[in-house]
Amino acid sequence: MRSLQRARIANIHSRLWLALRFSDLPLNVLGFDSQSEHAKVVIEKQRVIGSNACADAAGIVFGMDVTTATLLSGCESYTRDRELERQALAQLSEQLYQFTPYIETYFCETRPHAGLLLEVSSCLKLFSGIQALSSQIIQYLQNTFFSVAIGLAHTAKGAWLLSFEKYEITGDENKTIFCERLKQLPVQLLYDYPKVVEGLTKTGFDTLGDIARQIDAQSISSMKKRFGADFATSICDIFGIEQDFQQSSLFEKPAMIYQPKETFIEILQFDYPINQLDQLQWPMETLLQKLSDYLRKRQLQCQHIEWTLADIYHNKENVNVYADTAQREGRLFYQLTHIQLEQRPLPFDVDTVELRCIHTAPIQNRSQLLDFNQTKRADRRSHDFATTAAKLKARLGNAAIFKLSYCDSHFPEVSNIAIPLQEKSTQLLPTLHSVAVRPTWLFAEPALIETRKQGLYWRGHLELLLGPERIQGNWWKIPMARDYFLAQRHDNVRLWIFLDIHTKQWYVHGVFG
Amino acid sequence: MNLHPEKPPPLTLEQLLQRGDIWRGQSQRFTPKTAMDTGYPALNSGLLAKGWPFSSLIEICQQNLSNSEWLLLTPALLKTSGGYIVLLNPPAMPFCQALIQAGMDLERLLIVQTTTKADFLASFFELVRANACDAVLAWQPKQALSYTELRKCLLATADGAGLYFLFRPASSQQQSSPAVLRLLTQLTATDLHITILKEKGSLQNQQQHPIAITLPRLWHGLLPHRLLEQPVLPDTASTPHVSTPNGTDRSKRKLIRGTQLRRGKS
Repeated sequence: MRSLQRARIANIHSRLWLALRFSDLPLNVLGFDSQSEHAKVVIEKQRVIGSNACADAAGIVFGMDVTTATLLSGCESYTRDRELERQALAQLSEQLYQFTPYIETYFCETRPHAGLLLEVSSCLKLFSGIQALSSQIIQYLQNTFFSVAIGLAHTAKGAWLLSFEKYEITGDENKTIFCERLKQLPVQLLYDYPKVVEGLTKTGFDTLGDIARQIDAQSISSMKKRFGADFATSICDIFGIEQDFQQSSLFEKPAMIYQPKETFIEILQFDYPINQLDQLQWPMETLLQKLSDYLRKRQLQCQHIEWTLADIYHNKENVNVYADTAQREGRLFYQLTHIQLEQRPLPFDVDTVELRCIHTAPIQNRSQLLDFNQTKRADRRSHDFATTAAKLKARLGNAAIFKLSYCDSHFPEVSNIAIPLQEKSTQLLPTLHSVAVRPTWLFAEPALIETRKQGLYWRGHLELLLGPERIQGNWWKIPMARDYFLAQRHDNVRLWIFLDIHTKQWYVHGVFG
Repeated sequence: MNLHPEKPPPLTLEQLLQRGDIWRGQSQRFTPKTAMDTGYPALNSGLLAKGWPFSSLIEICQQNLSNSEWLLLTPALLKTSGGYIVLLNPPAMPFCQALIQAGMDLERLLIVQTTTKADFLASFFELVRANACDAVLAWQPKQALSYTELRKCLLATADGAGLYFLFRPASSQQQSSPAVLRLLTQLTATDLHITILKEKGSLQNQQQHPIAITLPRLWHGLLPHRLLEQPVLPDTASTPHVSTPNGTDRSKRKLIRGTQLRRGKS
């Protein structure tokens, strides 16, 4: 009775891995089929890393120089796009999530081998056995553009290696059969360890069976000494050899649970068409409340939402709402949406409202500054103002609200720059500017002063009080030289004026306020 | 069945007088109690609240594009607690070099530009109701604000807790305004004169002389060499009471005149 129980527990812990090796992934992601008529190769660093059947027939092999390959077959060459490959694998993982929650991605560094490793032992009952499950997966993948090879074993690495050989899945496989199959594989398949493979071949190890025999005869520590701990661990992972632990399950790596990318999409359909903005308030608030719940439960925040208003005639109107800072609640989004919709009438009688929030970020990912008092106060200030700033931006545009910053330059108009709210102002003035006479208002464009018989005139007669202060420079572009003066107008307003040395014309540049 | 709901009873005079926004001559029952030191003792003593009143609309009528508003307000703005100081619809771009010299923190200074009156009003309401704003300095847009709009501004400022200044042209002093405090600023050669046109809780035209704030010494320019030997001009009888930012009264000061620029000579 006790032995039966132990057997059951052992069975619970036994795993079954299905490896899906996408042999032509570099070629497939670029949109080419391996069976296409013309010879096509994928290259990386001027070497062929992938080729279709036609190119293979012409004698092109992995690692061949691109010039040789072109001379051999007149093939078209394309540069490998690793990012596309990653995206394709991520997409496939998302699709295969319907079969199992345990999905790992495998990328070989030395060869263009990539694929997915699925742990399926917990899903066998649901899909009526491994045979039915594997045939469903194969059938599913046949509808995609990717060519796939399948391997089944009790370990992830073992399954990956067995995908290089074609074995029919019957459902009667067990650990012994898998080990027997693995033992027949050549050591050259251990692509992750090219140097070790070279050493193994030289010393007469041709198959994985030879290595297994060596381990049986001596122990794994002999392999560790000769080929390194990393390789020895890898061999243990392939065969599922338990090392000298009393409770090996404690040290076993748990299967990774695949986290599919979640998006928030909610739709609300009305019983009657809505043609007034006020009537949209309740449905929008309801959807935003759902979004708030979604974000709170997952500890997420978002900066962008998209509304889709639709009617029964399939007319659609999209409204994109962006917040200045990432939000955890929908309140600001509602106010921003309201401002946007206020400015344009509803294009049709709305029958359906859809809310989408595609991009979210974890709350913890926010950068935290050192908690000095001043920083804390500034943070609280900007947080409190975020809603107001977002509303103002929605109404006036992003450029209408800004801060000032000093930019190191001789010329006043260049040194005074407007920056977005999020950026930090530069406030360190060089000594020259910190003691000089400067007006509080600066004109974007200097205003021309009339030169009359009585003297200078700009909306009144001007008298010079102080100056000149020579500012010159920009000789590498358009040389500029100005003599700045403090002037008083007849109504006692103090102005900052300058004489352009080159054009001999006077301008008003600022006002002392 | 009575389809028409009963009309509420008309308000009695006593009920009306209980409202805080009803002006009651010299009664100071509802005048603002908390205020920010203006930085000028003479101006503080001229104001009922002994400073710029919080949560109130302060209207400043100016003669020109700029009448030393930074000179008037900088001491008070520097004393604010660390929130934003927002310039709504300013007449020109503030010059960062002068503001840094004055000790202003540029991180706290925001500028909001509007094109229409509707945008101006909407932005003003938003800004004064934002807790993060310590002060809002707003310049009336080209289209003049009506009494109703000014009253809306006043009601909005009652919701906030900061200092709210509205700059308007001097011509608008003839128009009635619900602002809690109305000032007129005028520049002279040496001072900035401030006339309190109206203040909640005090009768109009009680001020004998305008309050004067001395202009910074640098603004007087340098005395031309030929005038250096001339005696110091005595203060005239009509010179108003003068205050300096550090509180010391002006005693004697040279009246400095610059040379008028002649053609071809600078």
